[in-house]
Amino acid sequence: MRDVTATPDAATVERTDVDEVVATELPWITIVWDDPVNLMSYVTFVFTDYFRYPRSKAKRLMMQVHTEGKAIVSSGSREEMERDVQAMHSYGLWATLEKTEK
Amino acid sequence: MTQFKARRRGGVYVVLPVYAAGLIANLARQLVELLSDGEVAEQPGADPLEALLDFDAPRETPEDPALGRLLPRAYADDDEAAAEFRRFTERGLREGKVRDAKVVLSKLTDAGDGLPDDLEFDLDAQQARAWMRCLTDLRLTLAARLGVTAEDEGFWERLPETDERLPVYEIYGWLGYILESLIDVVRY
Repeated sequence: MRDVTATPDAATVERTDVDEVVATELPWITIVWDDPVNLMSYVTFVFTDYFRYPRSKAKRLMMQVHTEGKAIVSSGSREEMERDVQAMHSYGLWATLEKTEK
Repeated sequence: MTQFKARRRGGVYVVLPVYAAGLIANLARQLVELLSDGEVAEQPGADPLEALLDFDAPRETPEDPALGRLLPRAYADDDEAAAEFRRFTERGLREGKVRDAKVVLSKLTDAGDGLPDDLEFDLDAQQARAWMRCLTDLRLTLAARLGVTAEDEGFWERLPETDERLPVYEIYGWLGYILESLIDVVRY
């Protein structure tokens, strides 16, 4: 699992932007699903703390989970997505991975 | 009085009334028990080779709804991949959650006896995250026990005072307040 203690300025982790999913050759995605328990502020915190996404993007993804029921939060190799899903589960978020259809 | 204040390096200073600390400790101990249930304590860890040779490693989603939510399926539509993922990762996930709960307990039991009304302690950035994850696990567990669903606040608020679920729902709400207070002061 990724070190969750590093401050945002301590490490800039290169992540594939989810908006580029279709255009790239990264065929696996991590999906976070809405649940009736997790606080909106906590979900935003997790996306910022784990993925190192800027606050605005973390908030946008959180709102997408909240209003649409789910959001693609990351993409990459199967191994990377399994790692991300496991991390989401360690934070108590409901996440799955799957192969993209295109 | 309950208090959370930001400290240097992402730490948090916490003040909890003794009764609140006792309640969280009690729930955290139950969570450790739930997560350890059915698992022998000295089982192999997350080593993939050990997991491969361990025929008892879990493959099925736990039947208990709380455990099912704490340790969810990783593949929605692929039973085989879901079982395989669980076989290699579930023990590690359980152990991480137990570790978080033990961080919470260490702060609440260090305090000793003969206390005044409030318990005061500091969390470093890492401990604050363990607290947040554990408070979330406690909320998920209580919600699963109660059967909380989306948009059902009205139902819970209308429960008669004699309903035995009411105090549990109030604790669930209060844990949300504690978590929100922590999020407010944690730097991220």
